[in-house]
Amino acid sequence: MFQSFRLSMAWLHTWFGLTLGFVLMVVFFFGALSVFDREIDRWAVPQSRFEPQPMPSFDKILRPVFEQMQPTQEAITEMAPRVNGPMPQTYGTVERMGAYTTHRDPVLELFIGFDVPNAKDPEEAIWAYRTIDPRNGASLPDDRLKIGSEFFYPLHYSLNLHWLDIGYWIVGSAAMVMLAALVSGVVMHRKIFREFFTFRPAKTAQRSVLDLHNLTGVVALPFHFFFAFTGLVIFAGIYFPVGHTQLDPLHQVSEQLEAAETGLPHDRAGVAAPIASVDAMVTEAQRRWHDKGMAGEVGFLVLQHVGDANGYVSVYRAGTDRIALTGEGIHFKASTGEVLREDPAPGFVDNLNEFLSGLHLQHFRHWLLRWLYVLGGLAGCACIATGFIFFVEKRKRQHAKQGIQGARLVDALAVTTVTGMVVAALGMLIANKLLPDSLPAGWPPRGDLEQYAFWATWLLAFIHALARSGPVAAGLLSPAWAEQCRAIAVLAPLAVLLNWIITGDHLLRTLSVLYWPVAGLDLCLLFSAGVALLAAAKLKRRALAAPAINNAKTGAAHA
Amino acid sequence: MRITGHHPLWRIAAAVLGGYAFTWGFIALGMAAFFSLGMPFHDAEHLTAIIGFLIYLVLFLWAFAARSLARVWAVTAGGAAVMAGAASLIQHQLT
Repeated sequence: MFQSFRLSMAWLHTWFGLTLGFVLMVVFFFGALSVFDREIDRWAVPQSRFEPQPMPSFDKILRPVFEQMQPTQEAITEMAPRVNGPMPQTYGTVERMGAYTTHRDPVLELFIGFDVPNAKDPEEAIWAYRTIDPRNGASLPDDRLKIGSEFFYPLHYSLNLHWLDIGYWIVGSAAMVMLAALVSGVVMHRKIFREFFTFRPAKTAQRSVLDLHNLTGVVALPFHFFFAFTGLVIFAGIYFPVGHTQLDPLHQVSEQLEAAETGLPHDRAGVAAPIASVDAMVTEAQRRWHDKGMAGEVGFLVLQHVGDANGYVSVYRAGTDRIALTGEGIHFKASTGEVLREDPAPGFVDNLNEFLSGLHLQHFRHWLLRWLYVLGGLAGCACIATGFIFFVEKRKRQHAKQGIQGARLVDALAVTTVTGMVVAALGMLIANKLLPDSLPAGWPPRGDLEQYAFWATWLLAFIHALARSGPVAAGLLSPAWAEQCRAIAVLAPLAVLLNWIITGDHLLRTLSVLYWPVAGLDLCLLFSAGVALLAAAKLKRRALAAPAINNAKTGAAHA
Repeated sequence: MRITGHHPLWRIAAAVLGGYAFTWGFIALGMAAFFSLGMPFHDAEHLTAIIGFLIYLVLFLWAFAARSLARVWAVTAGGAAVMAGAASLIQHQLT
C-alpha cells in the first residue's frame, strides 16, 4: 500500500491523528484542568471555600453521619432491575463504608454500600454518598456539582459517556493513537534536534504552524508519551479484562489464596459485633507509620463488613511525600481494634505500577510540578491544534479549486475543539454562578443543569463554527476563530465578575488572604481572556492581509 | 469504493483488531505463566499489561509498515490463538 516506511508512517500520522485528534484535544485540555480539579471545586462550590482538613475523628464526626446515610430514591430505582422482587426502602446491613481525602480537600466525601437482599449478583451493593464539612460534620447540599473533580476530571478519561463504558474505550483508542502518532511523527521528521529550535512565525501560516507543531511535539515528547502510556496502564483492567473473563477461574483461586494469606475475611460471619474505637486504630496506624519515618496523615479509611464479627477497618496513608501511589495499609479487627495485618512492602512490580500510576495521578505535594503538568497538557493541546491547522492550511486552496468540503469541515471541527471547548467550560462556570441557590420544585438537580449548560454551549460553538466556515471553502480563514476568541475574552471576565457578585470573593479579597484555589482560577480566567484578545487581534490582521495573497475568485462559488 | 485486499481498511483492521487480539493473548499467557511461577495474580496482571501496551504499539505500527498484510494477519491472529489457548491450558492445570 505504501512505497516506503516513512510514507506509511506519514499516512498513519495524518489520518489517525486527524480522526482521534479531536478526542485527544478534550483529553489533554481537561487533563490539564484536572491537575487543579480540587481548586476548581472550591470556585464552583462556595460553601467549601476553607483550608484543607485532615481526616476527622471517626468516632465523633464520621460515625453519626454514616448512621444517617441511606441510598437516594434514584439509586433505588436504578438498581431495581438487578434485583429479584421488590426493593426495600431502608437499608441496614452495611457491607463497606469509608472516606477518602487528599492534602487539597477542605470537604470530605463519605461513601457507604449496603447489602441488597435478593440482588441478582450477591456481591453488588447499593451506594450512598454525602459530602461533609469535616470540622463539624455538617452536610453540604448534595446537589452541588464539584465541577473540577466530578465533571472535568472524569471528562478527561471517560468523556462522561458511561453507556457500556464507551467513553473509556474512545479515550483509550485515542491514547493508543497518541503513542502511534508520536512514534510516526519522529519517523517523519529526520531533523528532530533542529526542530527544538525552529519556529518561524513570520513565514507562511502553513510553515510556521508546522514549526510550532514539531516544536510542541518534540519538546514535550517524553511527557506526551508517558501520559498517554500510563493513562492506558491505569485503566488496563477495562481495556484488557482478562482476569475477569478468560482467566476468571484463576482469579478466584488467587483470591482465596490471598484471603487465607492476609487473614482479612472475604465474607460476613453472620454474627453481630460492635465497633471498637476507630480513632484508637488510626492512632496506632500513625504510630506505626511514624516508626517507619513516614508522614502520618490518613488518606483513606474504610470499614468492611460493618457490625459483623468478621468486620475489619483498613487505614491507608495519604501519600503526599512520594510519587508512588501507595498506602501502607494497616488492617484492624473492627470489634477489638487488634491489628490483623500490616501491608508488606511492595515488590518490584507493585513499585513499578505504583510509580507509573502515581506519576500520572500525582497525589504527592509538589506545586511546581503540578504547574509543569498544566504546561505539558497545554503543550499537547497546542501540538494537536497546530496539527489540525496544518492539515487545513495544506489542503484548503486545493480543496477550494476542486470544490471539496473536507478542509472546511475539519476547520469547523478544529474551531469547535480548540476555542469551542474553552467557551463550553466557561459556559458551565457561568451557569454555576447564575443558577439560583435553591431551584423550584420539579427542576432537574442543579448539577445536571450545569452539565447541560456545558454541552449546550459546546453544541452552539459547533453550530457557529460550521455556520461561519464558508470562507474556508474559498481558501480563506474562517471568521469563527476570531469570533470565538472574542467570546472567550467576554465570557472569562464575566465568570470572574459573577463569582465576585454572587460569592463576594473578589480578587483583592482572595489575594489579600492568599486563598489560591479561588484567586488562582480567577487569575487564570483573566489571563485566558487576555490571550484570547491577542489571538483575535492577530487573526483580524491576518484576515485583512489574506485576500491580497489569495486569488479570491477560486471556489468563491462554493462558499 | 470497492474494498479489495489492498484497501486501507484491511490494514486498519489488522492494526486495531489483530494487534488487540495478539496483546490479549500475550497478557493472558503472561498472567497465567507468571502466576504459575509464584507471582501474585495482580502483580502478573499489572506487569503483563505494562508490557502488553508496548507490544500493541509495535504491532500497530508494523501493520502499516509491513509489506505483506497476510503476514501481519498470520502473526497477530495466529499468535493470539496460540497464546490464549496456552493460557487456558495453564489455567486448566491450576484450577
